Amino acid sequence: MSDEHPKVVIIPCSGIGKSFGTVSRMAAFLVTERDLPEQTCLVPLALLVMGDEASRKIVAESKAIAIDGCKLACATKMVLQSGGQIEQSFAVLEAYRRHREFKPEGIAELNKGGEQLADALAREIDEVVGEVIKREGDSHA
Amino acid sequence: MTAFLETTVDKFTFRVDPACYYNGEGVWVRIDGGRATIGLADYVQQRSGDIAFAEVKPEGTILVLGDFFCSIETIKIDISLSSPVTGKITRVNPALQSTPEIINQDPFGKGWLCEVDLSDWEKDRTLLMSAEAYFAKMKKEAEDEAKPK
Repeated sequence: MSDEHPKVVIIPCSGIGKSFGTVSRMAAFLVTERDLPEQTCLVPLALLVMGDEASRKIVAESKAIAIDGCKLACATKMVLQSGGQIEQSFAVLEAYRRHREFKPEGIAELNKGGEQLADALAREIDEVVGEVIKREGDSHA
Repeated sequence: MTAFLETTVDKFTFRVDPACYYNGEGVWVRIDGGRATIGLADYVQQRSGDIAFAEVKPEGTILVLGDFFCSIETIKIDISLSSPVTGKITRVNPALQSTPEIINQDPFGKGWLCEVDLSDWEKDRTLLMSAEAYFAKMKKEAEDEAKPK
């Protein structure tokens, strides 16, 4: 693994026009900007779809966590197609089933439930990132 | 293997089971003797989106045709379904608890909602649509929705 970029990349759904897509992106922002900015970075799905070489290289050389907004699972599929390894895929629908009290609504702007769901999902992702970092650290010790 | 009635509108293909009766909401009924199996039609599940939760009234509930019997929450909308028959719920699909997406995956098969012991099927039947009639209604709705607004 290269040391030039974070160990874990987060690839959220790029779905526009649905609350669950927005939740996936907000969760990705929370992980990469609020919680674990040193250990993670966000790669926009659109760049992988466009075949952006730099993005594909980062994904191929890192552990990837995909956040899928729907059952089409575009984020997971594009990581694999880009030569990346999925550490774990999260589905917003599954997160909502675990946190039914946080019902997401709104698209450009999420309601309170959507923000809370994104936060809950981000914290689940944080745990996985923590495990990856620990494992990588152990293997390099 | 069931030969479904089938239509493709835009990029979506919708199927209708010819062995079922349907109410106006797209709830299907399959009759086996004095018992009915009830489910949600393919068109309704596709247009409603991925299902997050499906809750059917408990076993033992007495239903009159038109009674609310099931709520479905998808990533897009919440739906309240009316019973297409009169009778008693004898079994609720246990798979709905842990994997409600089974309705999306197999709406006319493993995604059934409940079984009902019928009490007045001859009367209920007169208030339901045949598969052919429902197919025509569903096709028109799908085509109307696909038209540019």
